[in-house]
Amino acid sequence: MSTVTWITARGLFGRSRFLMLLPLPLILIGLAVLCRSLGVDPGQWGPPVLVGLGLAVVLPVVALIVGTGVLGAEIDDGTVVHILTKPLPRWQIVLPKLAVAAAVSAVTAGIPLYVAGVLADSVRLGLALVAASAAGALAYSALFLALSLVTRRPVLLGLVYVLIWEGLLGRFVNGTKVLSIQQWVIALADRMAPTSLLGTTVSVPVAAVLTALVAVGFTVLAIDRLRSFSVAGETS
Amino acid sequence: MSEATGVIHDIGYQRYTGPRLGRRQVFGALYGHGLRTVFGLGRSAKAKIFPWLVVAVVTVVAAGLTAVRSQIGQVVLTYAQFADAMSWLVIFFVAVAAPELVSRDLRSGVLPLYFSRPLPRGDYALAKLAALITALWLLLGGPQLVMFLGAAFTTSRGMRGVWDELLDLLPGLLYAGLWAVVFASIGLLVASLTGKRAFAAGGIVAVFLMTTPVVGVLSIMPSRTVNELAFLASPSSLVSGVGTWALGDLLTQGQEGGIPIGGFGPVYAVVALLLVAACVSLLLLRYRKVAAR
Repeated sequence: MSTVTWITARGLFGRSRFLMLLPLPLILIGLAVLCRSLGVDPGQWGPPVLVGLGLAVVLPVVALIVGTGVLGAEIDDGTVVHILTKPLPRWQIVLPKLAVAAAVSAVTAGIPLYVAGVLADSVRLGLALVAASAAGALAYSALFLALSLVTRRPVLLGLVYVLIWEGLLGRFVNGTKVLSIQQWVIALADRMAPTSLLGTTVSVPVAAVLTALVAVGFTVLAIDRLRSFSVAGETS
Repeated sequence: MSEATGVIHDIGYQRYTGPRLGRRQVFGALYGHGLRTVFGLGRSAKAKIFPWLVVAVVTVVAAGLTAVRSQIGQVVLTYAQFADAMSWLVIFFVAVAAPELVSRDLRSGVLPLYFSRPLPRGDYALAKLAALITALWLLLGGPQLVMFLGAAFTTSRGMRGVWDELLDLLPGLLYAGLWAVVFASIGLLVASLTGKRAFAAGGIVAVFLMTTPVVGVLSIMPSRTVNELAFLASPSSLVSGVGTWALGDLLTQGQEGGIPIGGFGPVYAVVALLLVAACVSLLLLRYRKVAAR
């Protein structure tokens, strides 16, 4: 475990702010348990809980907060200079941070999704959701990490993507679904555990290829942007 | 006993003899500055991108609706349904605006400077809240005005048609005000908890987004009472519930719409009132202590 990994993990967990992430997964588990104990038909509560809350809100929002936080927080308060002045290749800075961000998002979103998936259908669906959301967490984290290097307002730009592109346009304009990480995750999970609970228009090979492409592409972009990074003050 | 040797020289500082503006002017200045901050006026182009992006999208949608209506003569969205349809953009706008209003001041540590003036603690928070409410109301009301103008100029029934249209617009504006009050008080409370704009924006979106699916789940529970009370769980459906109860047909104008709240209308109104009151008092409580750090 490299020092950068260690610093990043401590930067995430060392503050009480991290507790802000807890309510999201807890609500997801709570709703699933509530529905199950009241005997509601899984076909009815599955889509709003698994997709509406889990894959459309918990996964992207957690990945957004964590993904922009691992590097963005250091850029914000200027301490990124300490890492940049060390004789490290840039990829040794970006990759550990990406790994921490993806792992934290995958665990935070994966555990409640597993519980909800098991309660809704079967262990197989739970495991499929965990695997798919881990792939999604990697893609989201790479995207948001790159955003925090490309712009000074990564969270707002990330929100534009999550809220307007995936949320608003994804509902009304069908074509944008092909370029939505959320739909790829749904497609992957549906392929691994075919149920009637998850449904999407995106085909599985397209989803798999695009997920890998986004993960790799934005990581390369982040490494490239960090190569010629200028440290500036807070935007006005 | 030595003689005092020090001399106080008059080096020509002028005393201020003009009028001293009081509390109301301080409040007004903070409010005006807050309103400008929300839209990025008087600041760099970067600060204008996100607020005006939202304004542009909302206006374009309103213009599109107006065009469709004037062409095919059918009302696609009523004024109130327009506010409902724009809820995601309103959430995004709050996530942009609220951290700009309060988180920057927290982070740069200027609050002690504000409070060293004759400015009561509550006034600071209330001025910011009023600015955010006004901005949200303008965001939702402006496009409604565009829709009204489009409808008024294309009406085929003369002044009578314009008058009817105006009667439709007024409840819509009232409803937009309800949206503005509820969303602004929640958003500003969340933003005032952290000095980091990034975390504040994420927190606001998380609060609004994670409550929406709760409504979806509660409304399929095997109990009619729970179904009809389900819309209390999320701010946006809470506002819709209050609107359905208080304005009723005025909102939907005979179209399909509104949400099934049964006979619980007053409950929705009371809960909305309590929610706003709780958020505002927590905000005031927060600013009683915040400058001490």
